[in-house]
Amino acid sequence: MIGGLFFVPMLCLLGILIAWYRRDPRRFLDGPAEDLPLRLTRWAAGLLAPQRAEWGQAMLGELGHIEGPVRRLRFAASCVGAVLVLPARGRAAAGTWAMIVLAAGAVVLFGAVTARYRLGGGAWIAAAILAVFVAGVFLGASALLRRPGVVLPGLFGGLIIAVAWLIVSGFTFLDQVLPDIVPWHRLVQVIVVPFAVGAASTLWGRDPATGRRIARLAAITGSLGLYVYTTVAVAVIGGGGPFDQDGGGTLQGTISDRLANNMVLLAFTILVFPTIGWAGAAAAGRLLRRPPALTSAGPVTSNPESQQEA
Amino acid sequence: MQRNRPPSPQTINVLRALATDPAQWRYGYDLATEVHLKSGSLYPILVRLADRGLLDTSWEPAQGSRPPRHLYRLSTTGRVFVAELTAARAVRTTRNPHSRWSEA
Repeated sequence: MIGGLFFVPMLCLLGILIAWYRRDPRRFLDGPAEDLPLRLTRWAAGLLAPQRAEWGQAMLGELGHIEGPVRRLRFAASCVGAVLVLPARGRAAAGTWAMIVLAAGAVVLFGAVTARYRLGGGAWIAAAILAVFVAGVFLGASALLRRPGVVLPGLFGGLIIAVAWLIVSGFTFLDQVLPDIVPWHRLVQVIVVPFAVGAASTLWGRDPATGRRIARLAAITGSLGLYVYTTVAVAVIGGGGPFDQDGGGTLQGTISDRLANNMVLLAFTILVFPTIGWAGAAAAGRLLRRPPALTSAGPVTSNPESQQEA
Repeated sequence: MQRNRPPSPQTINVLRALATDPAQWRYGYDLATEVHLKSGSLYPILVRLADRGLLDTSWEPAQGSRPPRHLYRLSTTGRVFVAELTAARAVRTTRNPHSRWSEA
């Protein structure tokens, strides 16, 4: 049953690819109409706060006068860096700080447990890998946080995903360190709740593109939140409970194994939550996009924001 | 709250490039090429300078199918700021020949 659940995310990924193809088949047949630097710079410009929108247009205007694919690509890539370096404003700034606390907390906790139990060089290498991974996740989240209307529902959605996981598996630290895995628990935690949050995101945002961004931010927040909680559990419980045979039956081995389990959980949830949430948001978007009954023969206009994907 | 930290060496290079002909409007890409900065470093600097009122910005009209370009030059405040930096540097150079602009 649990093994079967792993196929569901794969099916969702396949569904996403099919939906992507169906949305714009010419992209696959003829290639994109615009070059990569232009799309990259336009994406970066979209991340800027409304007060900074002029600077995004400045980058796009400059790109329009740069010749040569390599120079254009270097300029565009550098602009993406510039946008991510510029401090966020308003709710985006608050959301960024919340994400910094989560990401830094994840790494610091891992380091603290490693130092306290003197887990050795391997654990420090794992800490370095975790730091790089979490930094990448943070960069991805910071791009989402800069989109309008995403911060609050995204963080709230993450809270729902994390709390639902804990309600199902048990709130106590022992429940997290020594989980009693029941198949239907995983079904709810991994599939049902992220999918529902994704669908609710689209309904909340009233726009499929915004909904997908909210769903991804919620998934990332939920994953990091759960990781921090489970690592706190290891820090508090320590070697409590039966020693893990995978860890060689020693205190340090048991704690190393528990930390590694948490890292695997983080890698799994950071991959699966956004995929399932994206699928839920896209499914709700299909419902929103259902054409109303024709009442007039007037021209049909589309919302360009809905066409733009983060 | 606006913080007025001492400008970085890169910021000083940008200011110096703009100060060579303060009345002339400059393009971002040309400025980046002149001071050997990537756009990822230049634009945050320009944003901060504009936020501090040291920079005037304007738009050049679109040329044909090409989009309009953003133009930059030192504002009056910016010119005063660069003059103060230069004066501070001159004083420090007199006291300590090894001091740099970035310490101004």
